[in-house]
Amino acid sequence: MSKLKKLSIPYLVWMSLLVILPTILIVLLSVTDLDIFTLGSFQFTLDSFAYLVHPEVKIAIVNSIRLSGVATLISFLIGYPVAYYLANMKSKNKTLIVSFIIIPVWSNMLLRIIAWEKLFYPNSILNMFGISLDLIGTDLAILIGMTSMYLPFMVLPIYSVLEKMDRSLIEASKDLGAGTIQTFFKVIFPLSLSGVVSGTIMTLLPSMTAFALPERLSGGKTLLIGNIIEDYFMKTGNINAGSLISILLMIVIIMMFIGLLRFDKEGETLI
Amino acid sequence: MAKIVEIKGITKSFDDNVVLCDINLYIEENEFVTLLGPSGCGKTTLLRLIGGFETQDSGTILFNGKPINELPPNEREINTVFQNYALFPHLDVYDNIAFGLKIKKLDKELISEEVSKALKMVKLEGFENRRINQLSGGQQQRVAIARAIVNKPKLLLLDEPLGALDLKLRQDMQYELKEMQKALGISFVFVTHDQEEALTMSDTVVVMNNGVIQQIGKPEDIYNEPKNKFTADFIGESNIITGVMIKDYLVEFQNHQFSCVDYGFKPNELVDIVIRPEDIVLSNKVENQISGIVDDITFKGVHYEIIVVVDGKEYIIHSINKVNIGDEVSLLFGDEDIHVMRKSNV
Repeated sequence: MSKLKKLSIPYLVWMSLLVILPTILIVLLSVTDLDIFTLGSFQFTLDSFAYLVHPEVKIAIVNSIRLSGVATLISFLIGYPVAYYLANMKSKNKTLIVSFIIIPVWSNMLLRIIAWEKLFYPNSILNMFGISLDLIGTDLAILIGMTSMYLPFMVLPIYSVLEKMDRSLIEASKDLGAGTIQTFFKVIFPLSLSGVVSGTIMTLLPSMTAFALPERLSGGKTLLIGNIIEDYFMKTGNINAGSLISILLMIVIIMMFIGLLRFDKEGETLI
Repeated sequence: MAKIVEIKGITKSFDDNVVLCDINLYIEENEFVTLLGPSGCGKTTLLRLIGGFETQDSGTILFNGKPINELPPNEREINTVFQNYALFPHLDVYDNIAFGLKIKKLDKELISEEVSKALKMVKLEGFENRRINQLSGGQQQRVAIARAIVNKPKLLLLDEPLGALDLKLRQDMQYELKEMQKALGISFVFVTHDQEEALTMSDTVVVMNNGVIQQIGKPEDIYNEPKNKFTADFIGESNIITGVMIKDYLVEFQNHQFSCVDYGFKPNELVDIVIRPEDIVLSNKVENQISGIVDDITFKGVHYEIIVVVDGKEYIIHSINKVNIGDEVSLLFGDEDIHVMRKSNV
C-alpha cells in the first residue's frame, strides 16, 4: 500500500503545482484587489462583482448559454441516431467504424477551427464548386463549428450505453406487446439516459467555455464567456474580474458534474 | 383436446450450422410441455421460434390453427419468461408487471387490480415499489413470471427459468409453476436441460438432441420406454448394454439369454438394452446369472450407488442394502426390467 502511495507522489506534486495552487491564486484574486504583477496592496474587496452586471458580460453569458445549448441540442439530434445505428450494427468492422468518429478529435482543434473559418469567408476553396459562403459573424457559423467539434463527445457515451444494453430487454418489451417505436420510447431511450446526460455535459461544457472558436468564426463579433475571461486577462488587464468569472464558471461546471454522477454512478459512460 | 400450437417441418440454421431439423410437434390446450436436451440441442431456438424472436428457414407454426410465421412477437398471444429474467431495470416491480397492460391501454384501476392479482399469484404482495436490483434471484424470477402471466397469454414460454436458483428454491418453484399452470389453465412450454425437472413438472416431455426430436411422450413413458440410447442415457441413470435379439421375447447379452417383453425386431438384430440401476437386485453369487465383483460403493442418502464390474463392463446399481468392495455378487432383474431398443446412429 505504502509503495503504491509513493508512486502517486509525482502526480500529487503535479496537481499541487499546476492545479491546486493556481486555483487558490484565482480565488484570492477574485475577492481581493491584489495586482499580480506589482504585488502592491492586498485588500479584501467585492469590487469585481460589479463586472458581473456589465452589459458586455451579460451578453456573453446569454450568448454562451444560447449557442452552447442549441449546439448541444443539434449534436443530440444528430448524434443519437448515429450512436443507435452504430450500436446495432452487426458488421465485424464495428470497432474500426466507431474509431472513425474519434479520429477527427485527434487532430488539432485550432487547426479545425481555422479550416472552418476559411470556408466561411466569401472567397474560399468552395468557389471551385461555385459556392460562396458568407457566414463569418453569424450564429450559424458558430453552431456549425461547435457541433462539428463536439459531436463525437455526444455520440460515444450514447453508443457505449446502447452497445452494452441487454438485448433481451428489447425482446421482453416486444414479447409484452410493444411495437418497435413503443419499445424505443419505453425501454431503449430511458435506459440510454445516462449516456445522453454524459454526452450532453461533454458537449455543453466545452462549447459553453469555448473562446477560440467564437473568436475566429465570428470575426470577433460574438462574445462568449470565454472571450470575456480572455479579454480581461490578456487585453484589459483586469485580472481580478477575470478570476471571479473563471471561478463562477468553474462552480457551474462542478455542479454539472455532480448532476452527471447522480445519473451515472459508476461513471461508465465517461470514456 | 384442441391443439393450441402446431409446428410443422421446422428447419433452422445459423450460417452453415443446422440447429433444428424437420421439427414436428403440437401443444395442446392446458398442457405442460417440456423441451429437454443438452445445451446446444436446439431447444431454446425452438422456443424462440414459437415466441417470434427467430424466423425459421422452412416449415410452419400454427397458433389456434392459423399460421403465425409472419407475425412479430408483439402481435403473438404468447408471453415469455426469459432465462435471465430480462426485467426492466429502470422500472419498479409494479411498472414491470404493468408494462404489457399499459401497452394495451387498459384502464388504470383495472391495471392496478390485475397487477395485485399477479403479485399474489407469485406470492410477492407488497413488493410493488421495490427496485429490480433490490430483489433476490428468486424474487426476480417471480416478478418475471408475474409480468408474463398478467397478460393472460394462451401460451407461456419459459426458457430455463429455474437455472440460476439454488436446489431448494428450484424444487419449490417447480411445484409452484405446476400449480400455477393448472390454476391458470393455459399451456406452458418449458425449456430445461435438467431431466429431473422435466419429469417432475411435465404432462409431455420432448427429448431433443442435435436439433432433432428424439422422443415425445409422458414422463413415465420417456423414463420406462426410452426409444433410443440417447434418451435412455440422458433421462436418469441407466446401464446400456449391447446385445442381440434372438427372436421375439428372447434377448442375449453378457453371454446369457433372458426372456423379455419386447418383440418386433429382426431375428438376431443387434440392439441396445437398458436396465435402470434401481431395477437390479444384488444377491450372493448364483449360477447361470450375470455375476461380477463390487468395485465401488458410494452413499447417496436414500440409497447406495454400487458399481459392479462384469467381464470388464461397469454396471450401476442403486440399492438400500450395503455390500462390500470385492464381494462377488449376481445381478438379478425381472423380464419387464429389460428394455430393448433399436440401435440408433446417435
